[in-house]
Amino acid sequence: MTQIYEQKNDNKKKGANIPEGVMSGITVGPGRNGRGPGGRMGMGPVVKPKDFKGTLRRLWRYFENEKKLLSLIFTFIIIDSALALAVPYLIGRSIDAMSIKNNLVDFGALKIIIGVLLTAYIIDGIIIFFQGWLMAGVSQHIVANLRSTLFSKFQKLSVSFFDTHTHGDIMSRLTNDIDNVSTTISQSITQLVSGVITILGALIMMLILSPILTLASVITIPMVFGLTKTISKKTRILFKEQQMQLGKLNGQIEETISGIEVIKSFNREEKVIEQFNEVNLKLCEVGIKAQICSGFLMPIMNVINNIGFIAVAAVGGTLAVRSLITVGVIASFISYSRQFTRPLNDLANIFNTLQSAVAGAERVFEVLDEKEEKADIKNAKIIDKPRGHVVFENVTFGYREDVNILNNISFEAKEGSTIALVGPTGAGKTTIVNLLARFYDVSSGHILIDGKDIREYTRDSLRKCFGIVLQDTYLFSGTIKENIKYGRLDASDEEVEKAAVMANADVFIKRLKKGYDTHITESGSNLSQGQRQLLAIARAILANPSILILDEATSSVDTRTELHIQEAMLKLMKGRTSFIIAHRLSTIRDADIIMVIDDGGIVERGSHDLLIKNKGKYYNMYFNQFKNLGV
Amino acid sequence: MQFLKIYVKRYWKLFCAAVMCLTLEAFCDLMQPTIMSKIVDVGVAEKQMGYVIKMGGLMLMVAAIGAAAAVSRNIIASNVSQRFGAELRADIFTKIHSFSFDNIDKFETASLITRLTNDVTQVQNFVNGLMRIFVKAPLLCLGSLVMAARLNLHMALVLLAVVPIVAIILFVNMKIGFPYFTKIQKALDGVNGVIREYLSGVRVVKAFNRFDYEETRFKRANDELTGLSVTAMRVMAIFSPSITLTVNFGIVAILWLGGLGVNKGSIHVGQIIAFINYMTQILFSLMMISFVFTMFVRAKASAERIGEVFQEENGMKTKENPKEMFDLKGRVDFHNVCFSYSGTIGEPVIKNITFTCKPGETVGIIGSTGSGKSSLVNLIPRFYDATTGSVKVNGVDVKDIDSKKLREKIAMVSQKTVLFTGSIIDNIKWGKEEASFQEVERAAEASGAHKFIEAFPEGYDTKLGQGGVNLSGGQKQRISIARALIKKPEVLILDDCTSAVDVATEGKIREALKEYSCGITCLVVAQRITSVMDADKIVVLDNGEIVGIGKHDELMDNCEVYQDIFHSQLGKEMM
Repeated sequence: MTQIYEQKNDNKKKGANIPEGVMSGITVGPGRNGRGPGGRMGMGPVVKPKDFKGTLRRLWRYFENEKKLLSLIFTFIIIDSALALAVPYLIGRSIDAMSIKNNLVDFGALKIIIGVLLTAYIIDGIIIFFQGWLMAGVSQHIVANLRSTLFSKFQKLSVSFFDTHTHGDIMSRLTNDIDNVSTTISQSITQLVSGVITILGALIMMLILSPILTLASVITIPMVFGLTKTISKKTRILFKEQQMQLGKLNGQIEETISGIEVIKSFNREEKVIEQFNEVNLKLCEVGIKAQICSGFLMPIMNVINNIGFIAVAAVGGTLAVRSLITVGVIASFISYSRQFTRPLNDLANIFNTLQSAVAGAERVFEVLDEKEEKADIKNAKIIDKPRGHVVFENVTFGYREDVNILNNISFEAKEGSTIALVGPTGAGKTTIVNLLARFYDVSSGHILIDGKDIREYTRDSLRKCFGIVLQDTYLFSGTIKENIKYGRLDASDEEVEKAAVMANADVFIKRLKKGYDTHITESGSNLSQGQRQLLAIARAILANPSILILDEATSSVDTRTELHIQEAMLKLMKGRTSFIIAHRLSTIRDADIIMVIDDGGIVERGSHDLLIKNKGKYYNMYFNQFKNLGV
Repeated sequence: MQFLKIYVKRYWKLFCAAVMCLTLEAFCDLMQPTIMSKIVDVGVAEKQMGYVIKMGGLMLMVAAIGAAAAVSRNIIASNVSQRFGAELRADIFTKIHSFSFDNIDKFETASLITRLTNDVTQVQNFVNGLMRIFVKAPLLCLGSLVMAARLNLHMALVLLAVVPIVAIILFVNMKIGFPYFTKIQKALDGVNGVIREYLSGVRVVKAFNRFDYEETRFKRANDELTGLSVTAMRVMAIFSPSITLTVNFGIVAILWLGGLGVNKGSIHVGQIIAFINYMTQILFSLMMISFVFTMFVRAKASAERIGEVFQEENGMKTKENPKEMFDLKGRVDFHNVCFSYSGTIGEPVIKNITFTCKPGETVGIIGSTGSGKSSLVNLIPRFYDATTGSVKVNGVDVKDIDSKKLREKIAMVSQKTVLFTGSIIDNIKWGKEEASFQEVERAAEASGAHKFIEAFPEGYDTKLGQGGVNLSGGQKQRISIARALIKKPEVLILDDCTSAVDVATEGKIREALKEYSCGITCLVVAQRITSVMDADKIVVLDNGEIVGIGKHDELMDNCEVYQDIFHSQLGKEMM
């Protein structure tokens, strides 16, 4: 008798879990190691959130949009729980109907009860279905919403955020963590609500049926609590340790496998394997301990539940002997006492899963809380087709507040002129570009374009003025045409082709089988470095910017290919203010002004000829590269 | 999945012990409803308190035995699954480290990492599950069927109707579900793809103000994923209630048939209760079985991916009796070497190359990107085998030397600088573990790293993040050069490893190197002509072929490609 409804409930949950479990399992991305289905078996490590309540409250805001549907779901859960509570009572009644004296069954009553039971089952089935149906929509929409909120946040984040976080980390927040939030919360909320209702309902039913029996069944509760507390206290520490070792091991794996070339060339295989085994063994040991420890819970719980059953049966039997109670009442009571204790165990579990989900949510919110790029000032002007007159006025800047990369830099670039920036690595050349495009804001001083501080323009319109070609030519997966069009989305095909011709890219594109419709793979591996660079230049040409920035645009291309590209770049630079950064001094000799940057300042400036004549730093650098030529 | 055999061999005894405990556990689980029904039927109904206590004691005992079985099963299962997982991981790790570069290229490192982490976890969880519930579910299902049939054959007819229906529902569930899961996985890859591209191209996106475009792209992928997930979950939402409903109908049928039976006196009330218990037991185990199946499919996919790693054989074999190489210290010979990466078609990367580096010589290798420079030097430490022809180090074909001994004599600094977590000194000491601090300093000085390392507050003990994230590209390159120098190899290969260092610093490094590497054969791969100009010999590669070989002056006279490179870098008037 005892197990009837306890198990029914269980089945329902298991049933509901299976498809979701499979889904969340299949969507497991990289980096979610060690959190397989194990988590569902109660062995998943719990990562503790920092501010449980606050995060939960914040998370609720995303659920608020779906308030109406959610309250409908809650209504369903309540009805469902009520039905689940009524069922043991009905079965008890039907047993009573059968156990009237001398095995004579009261079929009239049985028919009615069975009819009611059948209706209850059918309604329950329908409700569970609709609940699942609605929950699918609600939970997925919440996730989609969270995901796009997070993605939208990317726009407002400064480049420094992306510079300081690894891609893997950001990715896992956008996918794994959000996924974790959705599945756990949508499941846990259902369980939490139905659990609380079931406990209360069962308690009330038990008290109605027999207060004395209630007392008898309640004796196991302290045992349950005591057990869960002692075991979870131990396991939590072990799981934490396990998670730590796992993280360490995964870190080692990632490092050694991606650096395997170096390991091989230094003959370090054995050493690395030895180190790996050390951590692997530690993980194994702590894993065994954690698993054994947590494995005690269910069997002991089962024994305790049986003790409860026997207590109820013994007390119930005694009462029945004195005809104070019917057998049917005992039967229903036993069911209720099961329904009462089962959710108690569940609630402890729910708290654990909820904790890890909230920890995930916290990681998501961390990104949402990141400092944004400063908003445009009020009345920010839109800058359109500027002449390209650029002035740096006493600009000081550091990525960190205590270390300045640029110190009090001032210079002027006349419209249409070409400025070259040279200097050793780390001198601050790229920083100047970062400031110009307002990827970062200056710490002090001003940058003026056409006579106005760039902070007085809207950021969008400001960046539209620039065409930037970087060392790492980033191409997106898509066709060649799409990639060039990235410079100006509304460009016509003719314009795209014109830009490609100007960039000297047309020749090789035409040679490809599918021409402009050739698909570029994610890494762009089907194009050579030089070809990619030409596409990036075509993209910049198409954008038709007033100010051009070439940051080491050709340094990853060999010099012969570079000659080819240079031709295209010269065309691009014509009539625009251009900033060129280069290691190779040959690239920049024709610039109007060459500025030598060192230690965050401009140490020399002037034309090539002038700087050579002055025999300063530039002269040294220039002739350094020919030193062994004996020039 | 041959590779599993050794683990089966190692653990089958313990596994069987666990399964036996599991069987005992299941048996105890099955006993309990029967005893309970007896307590209700006989004890409570007939008001025999003695019987209640007696049977209650028995039941507690059975539960205790069950618990004992469960605990010991858990102890065995934990040991087996964790050890199995750890051993599997260690074996794959060792296997990967025995791979040649060919093998690694074939898999790609990212995929190797997921195989080592995710896939192992997947398989380990399945094995663990096997010993926890997966075997128990069918046992319980069968046991319940038997017990129910024994209890009352008449009522068991209901099971005959219910079980097949549930089985059909489960089957249809899986049949419909799986295609969705693969589709969802694809959609998820799509979302991930957009994010990954955005992250790598964030500057470009910002520079071109294309956030709206990216957002539309993301929205498209996100919507598709959401739509698919919702549909899939909704389709699946029908199955769980319909299974429950089917079994519940069965319960109603039992109650009715039971009522009839009780009326006839052929059935006890307690039996009905027990029967319903068994029914729910069956339902539960059927659900578990369907879960086991999905788990199995996933674990199988993972096991296959792991199997691929184990199956991969390192084609690079060394001769039975590897030769020693005493003489000709530091000599490198290429003789009619052709090479193409395995699995690629088309022209070979290296065509018919023959040249010699004499001991102590510095040889420059120059050519445009894709001309085969790196591929060529990768043949020296035998990272790859030449397709035809022979590569000799110290006068012996590299195929005849134990790779370990060979690599002891060679130090290579590759284009891609890889540093490891740990301090700077640890990283440099990779080249020579027992090196003294003075040696480390000298190597760092020669590679131009000493100055900036000293400038760090913690100096040589500065900790590096993974991959040396807290260093600039040029700094990383200089540390990796120091790491190679400290080894004091016979052959030093510098593969375009100063590209991120500015010209002036590079010049200084070159000077220092000359002194430090006196007597070492040096192969310098470079794009900058100034890096190789003063080499004893310069090899000019173009399209995998040698188009010129000789000293700078000679090449300026007779090698067109070299002249081209020279002009492109230094301009015409330098002539």
